[in-house]
Amino acid sequence: MGATLLAQQRETTAEERERFSALVGEHLDGLFGASLRLTRNRTKAEDLLQETFLRAWRSFHTFRPGTNVRAWLYRILMNAYIDGYRKSEREPEVVDHEDVDEFYLYSKVHESEDFRRAGNPEEVLLANLMDADVKGALQGLPEAFRNVVILADIEGFSYKEIAEILGIPIGTVMSRLHRGRRQLQVKLWEYARRAHYVGAERPSGGTGGGP
Amino acid sequence: MTEIDCEQVLEQVWSYLDGELGENAYIEIQAHLAECAGCGPKYEFQRKLFTLVEQKCKEGPIPVELKQRLFRLLEG
Ligand SMILES: [Zn+2]
Repeated sequence: MGATLLAQQRETTAEERERFSALVGEHLDGLFGASLRLTRNRTKAEDLLQETFLRAWRSFHTFRPGTNVRAWLYRILMNAYIDGYRKSEREPEVVDHEDVDEFYLYSKVHESEDFRRAGNPEEVLLANLMDADVKGALQGLPEAFRNVVILADIEGFSYKEIAEILGIPIGTVMSRLHRGRRQLQVKLWEYARRAHYVGAERPSGGTGGGP
Repeated sequence: MTEIDCEQVLEQVWSYLDGELGENAYIEIQAHLAECAGCGPKYEFQRKLFTLVEQKCKEGPIPVELKQRLFRLLEG
């Protein structure tokens, strides 16, 4: 009797393990990327992912099949991140740019003499922004804004999903997202201006006989 | 049909791009963007900027060895 019960338990566990692996396996790429962006460090990202994976496994019995598995996993990820990793970080200063609107970057390139001279200012800007610029700008955002921008703009979650993942109202999601995106544009413009994409310093393409 | 003006359209461009608007609002804005010389380019720029941010911040797939390590944790 005892032995049969034990065998049954073992079987259940094996079967559960298989269901868990199938369900979670396809989201590991995304979770790993999100961990890297959150922690900005390879070792910490691996630790965070492992913690997330173990927490998910421990609470797998509470997961209801047919519900949003991806949102469930990201909620565990964000909680693990907030519990364990956030405390050691130094928080960038929250500067709210009240005067900045949704089209800050667009307006800036159009106002810039240098960019205007280049012909198609928006294209020049977009073509010259480097991976490091965009990552740097994202990393420079205050935590609360950054988390929402990551979930919306990189992970592609809806406002409602983000509200569930972070346990905050939808209105807060939208306000943080909007403020984060505006601040991101301010930072991108700083990179663009500093990098001299356009202007006299730039060596000519070598076609000779420029203007 | 009620006409929406440029200001209203631009205010909602992010929600529009995020797919967070109702169908009627979506159709109205779509029609406006297609015709308005002022809003069209601004919208296009936002769209391209979103794509750029997403592409530049994507990280590669999880290393195989890390994935294997995670699944081994379940066996312990
Ligand atoms: Zn317009």
